[in-house]
Amino acid sequence: MRALLDLLGHAIRDARFALTVGGRTVYYLARAPLDRAAVWRQAFEVGNRSVLFVLLTLGFLGAIMNLQTGFQALRLFGDASLVGAQTMPLVLRLFGPTVTGLMVATRVGTGIAAEVGSMVVTEQVDALRMSGAPPVDYLVKPRFVACILMLPALAVLGVTASFVAGMAVSYGAFQVNPATYANFDLVRTGDVFEGLLKALTYGAVIPIIAGAAGLSARGGSEGVGQATTRAVVNASLAVIVLDFVIGGAAFVLRT
Amino acid sequence: MIRFIDVHKAFGPKRVLDGVSIDVARGEVLFIIGKSGAGKSVLVKHLLGLLAPDAGQILFEGQDVAGFSERDFFPLRKRCTMVLQHSTLFDSMTLLENVALPLRKHQGLSHAASLEAARSKLQLVHMERYADRRPADIGDGLRKRVAIARALTMEPEYVVFDEPTTGLDPISARHVDRLIRRLADETSVTSIVVSHDLASIFGVADRVVMLYQGRVLLDGPPQAFRDSADPVVRQFVNGLPDGPMDI
Ligand SMILES: Nc1ncnc2c1ncn2[C@@H]1O[C@H](COP(=O)(O)OP(=O)(O)OP(=O)(O)O)[C@@H](O)[C@H]1O
Ligand SMILES: [Mg+2]
Repeated sequence: MRALLDLLGHAIRDARFALTVGGRTVYYLARAPLDRAAVWRQAFEVGNRSVLFVLLTLGFLGAIMNLQTGFQALRLFGDASLVGAQTMPLVLRLFGPTVTGLMVATRVGTGIAAEVGSMVVTEQVDALRMSGAPPVDYLVKPRFVACILMLPALAVLGVTASFVAGMAVSYGAFQVNPATYANFDLVRTGDVFEGLLKALTYGAVIPIIAGAAGLSARGGSEGVGQATTRAVVNASLAVIVLDFVIGGAAFVLRT
Repeated sequence: MIRFIDVHKAFGPKRVLDGVSIDVARGEVLFIIGKSGAGKSVLVKHLLGLLAPDAGQILFEGQDVAGFSERDFFPLRKRCTMVLQHSTLFDSMTLLENVALPLRKHQGLSHAASLEAARSKLQLVHMERYADRRPADIGDGLRKRVAIARALTMEPEYVVFDEPTTGLDPISARHVDRLIRRLADETSVTSIVVSHDLASIFGVADRVVMLYQGRVLLDGPPQAFRDSADPVVRQFVNGLPDGPMDI
């Protein structure tokens, strides 16, 4: 019980600090010039760190999903030719953006927290403040913009990987013709919007949460380690919760 | 003029500053000494808003900065800069870019103009040869010299040096001493120097303040420090392993 309360207390404190960091980021976005070179560097870093993981994970997920859906369909109706149509909306709305978000939270979130955290514990952040560079403006803002740009792009790549892998598996396992597989009848514009909205939201939230974790690092390398762990845990949790919230809102809007 | 008035600071149960009062006059070179952990770094960080006091006032030219927000500190940090104890250069940048950053951020100089100006500051500490290296590629002593150059790029009126000669070879250390003295004599820059270096203290200090157990134990010219009858001061001046000082 006590441990649970502790955990809750930590979560609330982390969330409040992340909100502060988010507020400052938006403030500096409006008030201070954007260092485009830094944004490109970070965008490259984000892509570099996560593209392979996103492609692999979503590729496999696409394969697994089509295999399972296909089996089920075969058992129930004796026909698996609609697997593509059946899985597509789910991939667009749910798996594409959210698995991408989780991968970025893991790969990029840890990187951000470790970099920022080690700058805090080595007092480089104090040196930044002395140099007239507010840490949120200088460290968090470019990563924020980079992630917002990159997450939708990564999600699109991930969805494509899932689509292609699903197509291959459906052909291999159920002899579904690729032309039959590529059936978008069940996809609505709303699904695409929902997926993109999720990707954008994760892109905004992950660097803020990870940056906040890094900025609150205390102590030596141990503190950096803890900050890194906190970043993945909090960012992944945020992705899941936001998936639920956005998915729920979209559902309500649709009905 | 800078005044610390009855400054208190604790970290959890640990009381580091327990009522410290110090006045620093314009153009003065003030040394703050004391054993490791005495709270010297903690004290000077208060002046620049890197730490906030639990109680007490810190007057910067009559303005109490104790209640300043982070944003209020930015103009102050143009006029009063600091060399942090561990140099803390940005490891993602070259040495030249390190020195140029304050010019870009505080003064809004363009990238090219800031690099130009930074080069002359590197010359001041004889580091122009290393301009394009990164902090990881050079040793502690050289890093400290670059940190000093970075603190001087803004041509500040006040500079806080946290152990500027620690880790430097004796020749470079005396160069730094001379630089501090010249800043005071030629451009009336006020310096607050945290140091253990007796050669520096007796070479360039106008006044010496010794912190002990969270308070000011001694405040006077270097001569008074050398001649003090206080057993704790005596132990420190003579560097004796045994004595009344709690370690
Ligand atoms: N941010 C902090 N959080 C908790 N404790 C701190 C913090 N900063 C300093 N302290 C503690 O305050 C005490 C004084 O530290 P400070 O760095 O001022 O010592 P110092 O006099 O500069 O010593 P040194 O000569 O070793 O640099 C130390 O015991 C240190 O552990
Ligand atoms: Mg110190």
